[in-house]
Amino acid sequence: MTVQLKGRAEAITIQWIPKYTTLERAAHWLHTATFVPLAITGMILYFPFLQPLAQGPAGMTFRLIHRVAAVIFGLLPIVYFIFQPRRLILNIREFLPSKDDIGWLKGAPAYYLLGRHEAMPPQGRFNAGEKMNGLIMIVAWFVFGLTGVPMWFGKGVIPPEVFRWLVVFHDLAMIVSVCMFLVHLYLAVAHPLMWAGLVSMRFGVTSAEYAAEHHAKWYYGPKRAMEIWEAKKREAAQKGGH
Amino acid sequence: MNGKKSSETHLSRREFLGLSALGLGISLAGARSASAAPPAASPDDVAILYDPVKCVGCRACQMACKRWNKLPNESTDPLGIYESPRDLSAITWNIIKLRRTAVGWHFFNYQCQHCTDAACVEVCPTGALSHDPMGFVALDREKCNGCGYCTQFCPYGVPHLQIADILTGAAKSAKCTFCQDRLRSGIGGPSCAEACPVGALTWGKRGDLLEKARARVAELQAQGMNARIYGENEAGGLHRLSILLDEPEQYGLPSVPKTPAFARAWQRIIQPLGNVAFGAALAGILGVFLFVRRKIRMEEVR
Repeated sequence: MTVQLKGRAEAITIQWIPKYTTLERAAHWLHTATFVPLAITGMILYFPFLQPLAQGPAGMTFRLIHRVAAVIFGLLPIVYFIFQPRRLILNIREFLPSKDDIGWLKGAPAYYLLGRHEAMPPQGRFNAGEKMNGLIMIVAWFVFGLTGVPMWFGKGVIPPEVFRWLVVFHDLAMIVSVCMFLVHLYLAVAHPLMWAGLVSMRFGVTSAEYAAEHHAKWYYGPKRAMEIWEAKKREAAQKGGH
Repeated sequence: MNGKKSSETHLSRREFLGLSALGLGISLAGARSASAAPPAASPDDVAILYDPVKCVGCRACQMACKRWNKLPNESTDPLGIYESPRDLSAITWNIIKLRRTAVGWHFFNYQCQHCTDAACVEVCPTGALSHDPMGFVALDREKCNGCGYCTQFCPYGVPHLQIADILTGAAKSAKCTFCQDRLRSGIGGPSCAEACPVGALTWGKRGDLLEKARARVAELQAQGMNARIYGENEAGGLHRLSILLDEPEQYGLPSVPKTPAFARAWQRIIQPLGNVAFGAALAGILGVFLFVRRKIRMEEVR
């Protein structure tokens, strides 16, 4: 595909490679479309200054919206698991920590703040930041479900001693996942280096050049990716030596 | 890049201060007004005093409560015991329980204890539950949204949800209100205490009742009973004082109500820490956004 960009003389050619399935993208956006209302309606009971919204029929309506959204939010991963179990397992496996994460942590400030590509060692299909986002959302999904369902149906059934902890853990899961969501939102929407993320989630594809740059171990394979990176580092060192 | 002025590539002091203020503002937006220290009851508050030795179990208090608050009847299991209904509910705010203590079986009136350090008020997100200036824990059903936190945090198991629909969560909390409407309009005291024919339930100023209770405890102790006051200091001081003839547990009352402290830890420590996290995240993101916008040129990005 050729694209004419503003400020550039010649058109550039972008080669697209697949990254996400249609179901994955649909699940992602439905997750977003339920996570945001869940967070907002939940915060109405959380923030004292939102108390007027929590009162009476309005409060009951927000609690109802919270429940409707919660059902969809809860079902999404289950639907994903039923229809594409291999993809789900593949993704979860790629979310698991690896040695690359230490390199990512070291390189992240120079890479994300200054845009120094050579500071970032090759990453897999997901880098450590994306893994963190994925894992936190998975853990939060379990915590929200395991605390939320008993809070919904368990009043008067489960011991109040247990219920009190459920409320606290529901809050903690919200605090952690909302902070993660805010960071994720910024990186996906506004960070210049991450431009392909939103494209991937909308259209299911990523640019080959972007993948080679940001997810080299996925694009080239681990061995070749390291070779290329070592070569790049040597080149940069030679340049710096002059 | 080298030719640019530092103000273009770094955050200015004004921006940095602005971001810090934003973070702090969000952190404080969720803060609650009062400190984490529990409040204390005043001797001028109103209160109810219950003397189980005088109680004859006639349940006039139970009937008066139902009648004044227009609460419907409740059918109970015919278990052949005196308690009917067995426990408090959304439509029964005052009951006579039968308790076995060191002195044998005797009656015990059970109702909202009207804590000064009330866990229900602490956790209520709507302000439906509040401390009336007279001291008791008032309930404004119009404000209630049926979340039911009060039912789970009360150390005495007092508030109950009147559930309209378990699926939608439509519900209203219900509990003894100290007959708030009677007191506020000056009609009189709580209907249960007004109805008691033997003086087992009395009401008045908390300071006066405590004095009366101390005298009564001394009297009962002189008769050889292990009498004590319950409610003088529990949960910041209750507005329903009881004379007990045994350990509180024998009456189904906790020696130390723990949930007010738990509720405060949740609302005044964990939640504010969450707000600090939100504030830090938002201010940090905005700072990075402003910084990166100058440092990384979109045209140079592949």
